[in-house]
Amino acid sequence: MSTLVSLPSSSYKVVAGPEAYLSPAAASLGVVLPENGQGLIEGEIVPEEIVMEIIAKKLLTAKNPTLFPGPLVLWAWSEKSIEKATAAQKLAAEVPGMRIIPMPDYRPKYPMINPAIEINPNHPNLTIWHNNIDVCMFIGVHCHYANLALKIIRGGTDCYTIALCGEFGHEDAMITLRDVSAEKVTKLTEVVKRVKKEAL
Amino acid sequence: MKEKKTVSPEYMILEAPREKKFMIGNEALAEAVKRANVDVVVVYPITPQSEISHLCGDLWVAGYIKDYYRGEDELHVMASMMGAASAGVRTFTATSGPGTLRAMEPFACWAGYRLPIVCPIMGRGIGTPANIQPDSVEIFYLLETGMIIFHVESPQDFFDMTLQAYAIAEQPDVHIPVIVFCDGFFVTHTREIVETTPDDEFLLPYNSNLSPVPAMDMEAVPVRMARDCLVIKNNFISYNANASWQQEVRAAQHRARKYIDRFMGGPLEVINPDAEVLLMASGSAAAQARVAMEIAQEEGIDVGMVKIKVIRPFPVAEIAKLCEKAKLIMVPEFNFIGWLAKEIKAVVNNNSKVFSGPNVFAGMTMPPEVIVDEIKKLLKLTK
Amino acid sequence: MDAVKIAPGFEKIMPQEYQDLVNDGPYGRNLSVKDLGTFKELIDEHPLCAGCTLTLSLRIVLASLPNPENTLIVTCAGCFGVIHPQISLHCTIAPFGTHNAFASGLKRALKVKFPNKNKDVISMAGDGGFADIGLSPTFHSWVRGERLTSIMIDNECYANTGGQDSGMTPEGVVLNMSPLGKNFPKIEFAELAKLAGCAYVATATPTNPRLLGQMVRRAILVSREVGPTVIRIATVCQTNYKLSPIEGYNKAKSFESQTFEYFTKEAQKYIESIEKKSPKTELNLEVGVENED
Repeated sequence: MSTLVSLPSSSYKVVAGPEAYLSPAAASLGVVLPENGQGLIEGEIVPEEIVMEIIAKKLLTAKNPTLFPGPLVLWAWSEKSIEKATAAQKLAAEVPGMRIIPMPDYRPKYPMINPAIEINPNHPNLTIWHNNIDVCMFIGVHCHYANLALKIIRGGTDCYTIALCGEFGHEDAMITLRDVSAEKVTKLTEVVKRVKKEAL
Repeated sequence: MKEKKTVSPEYMILEAPREKKFMIGNEALAEAVKRANVDVVVVYPITPQSEISHLCGDLWVAGYIKDYYRGEDELHVMASMMGAASAGVRTFTATSGPGTLRAMEPFACWAGYRLPIVCPIMGRGIGTPANIQPDSVEIFYLLETGMIIFHVESPQDFFDMTLQAYAIAEQPDVHIPVIVFCDGFFVTHTREIVETTPDDEFLLPYNSNLSPVPAMDMEAVPVRMARDCLVIKNNFISYNANASWQQEVRAAQHRARKYIDRFMGGPLEVINPDAEVLLMASGSAAAQARVAMEIAQEEGIDVGMVKIKVIRPFPVAEIAKLCEKAKLIMVPEFNFIGWLAKEIKAVVNNNSKVFSGPNVFAGMTMPPEVIVDEIKKLLKLTK
Repeated sequence: MDAVKIAPGFEKIMPQEYQDLVNDGPYGRNLSVKDLGTFKELIDEHPLCAGCTLTLSLRIVLASLPNPENTLIVTCAGCFGVIHPQISLHCTIAPFGTHNAFASGLKRALKVKFPNKNKDVISMAGDGGFADIGLSPTFHSWVRGERLTSIMIDNECYANTGGQDSGMTPEGVVLNMSPLGKNFPKIEFAELAKLAGCAYVATATPTNPRLLGQMVRRAILVSREVGPTVIRIATVCQTNYKLSPIEGYNKAKSFESQTFEYFTKEAQKYIESIEKKSPKTELNLEVGVENED
């Protein structure tokens, strides 16, 4: 159990929780975001190809894998966003039993969300607990809200989080890729297909 | 609007050719704003910042800034900045002294809104008694607002650090405001050589599609979006969400370190780090410390200097390491509080060797000889 | 945002309320109060008091927007702070009292960002937010001519903080910070607005939704082309005035005598050109003579 105090250490491991009453932000404990062509696994910078392999393995061995698409792919606001949405759907289709639960927006919902059918960054734990999700993957969520959700999930649940980020990545996820475009999602889908075949 | 040749911040800050000019700090700042491709500027007069506000007006008339107006007071100018920056455009404003304190509520809100506003502050006395003379006391009040804070030593710094501020503030993984703080008059109204980049090259425009929060413009998704949702009364784990939001803002400060290294060459300038006596200073005090170091060295005292360019995020690890060897660390400051000495003491193991002083304020100057005298006194005492 | 659409393939997983928003929402359809009940409104549940007339007013305002797909709302600390996340538009709360300053910066920036597109910016706040702590920036946004629609929900107290008197509380009313009765009269907010040069100033109550809705539409249209506009919604906080919801509603109804509409000549001409008839036929109006254009 980590404390509420920021420790000046970069040996902090971003692992599945439940971690703390109030989880620290991984960046404040020295975890650095990866550069182009790299990703993060539990706080360590790793080449992107290896990250994709690990993501595939995590998804395929999960009991209840779930994709959480956010507003940037749920809403049809540009050609690119629609391509990314389609690519994400194809990725989910390759993971046996993968559910898709949307994060349609970020604002607090009154009186509360229906955790069976949606997730919200202000209380993502409700959805994780309700659906017994052990491995989840975020895509198309604005970075600020993704970081909130990832940290709160790590604090209160034992769910393993994967973040596919369109910008520079998320230290608060157990695994993150950066610069995720429709093409990269498709590439990841190919890795999933291959790992699935190799396992058979 | 003028047809603009736009360049990346990497090019403008690190590679573009420079030309020597001779100008005061406020003019150097205006040169930076001119090249920064700013969209909206809102201003209000207060000494010694008014001049940059005038110069921005001239830049607006000449087509370098897209909209400009005078607000009714600093509190509401800073609130207007929140509105403009939320819409997803590049903004600029400035204030000083009592104006800073009048704007404290928005200043405490800016970072939480994830607004990449660049706001120079020209430090001066506040009151009581009233004083318009140079003082860096305001930085103390701004320390925990969550904003990035640079401390400017010279007109050259004012030009460079403003452009660096935009480059760093607008990174998608940072995206919080930057205060570019200078001590009023010593920088704003002192004429020095400033090396500027070509004045027909401008920063690439701000792109709100890369923002970590949706722009408030009814174009960014989702359509149901409260820019700063009041996370109470509606949630199961609402207070954790509010706390997490605050943690994320502080995390953004940590993420800025990478860009501070890339665009600024790091948060420190270090001269003779193995010296027996280290002067650690920021802003104009660093300028005086430089001369004091030279005088002391001529008199045979082993003195080095650390100029601290970035106050937030405070370079904790670097300062702690630099303080390990020195026998005596002196922190001259242009304020009563001695906030920089407090920051340093908080991160140094054996901080009984860190001395706050000389502290000079209310418009009094800090002659380098005064610093040298203090060094000698302390060396005698600590022998 | 001219079209609110779900990405193909995700329609089935979106919760029903979002599907309703997309399929039956008001975006791009130019609906009004008379269509209430036939479309998915921009607000459903809210955490405010049962029977609150602020929420009723907000509902009417949201149903009257000429272009909800390009409307933004800046609200104020207070009961709005608690309800605003439920609005299906881009909205926010500004630091208390600064909402018109925030809205000024927002409107200016949107004009820079989208020079060929119209974005309606509305600022909404209570009487405390507009007439006390926010009086200066509100007045200055008016005299600067900012193209904003300011809508005050005047329930004659600071409600969210537990019922203190505000500048808009009538003289003599006993509330939590006026134990001997408020000792100065209700601020003439609408008069200030006229003095500041607002192009359209109106007062209505939420008990007359069609009229209020028409005023909201006119206020927004005038603010696009002519100048700042102001609506004061005269109503009551039944919770802090210790009234039942029905008593509260009836008290608000009694304020209908305060209903009025003021146009500058330019605003009147503009509205006539849109509505193709004189707005005078709707109400007994006072048309401004000071602002001859």
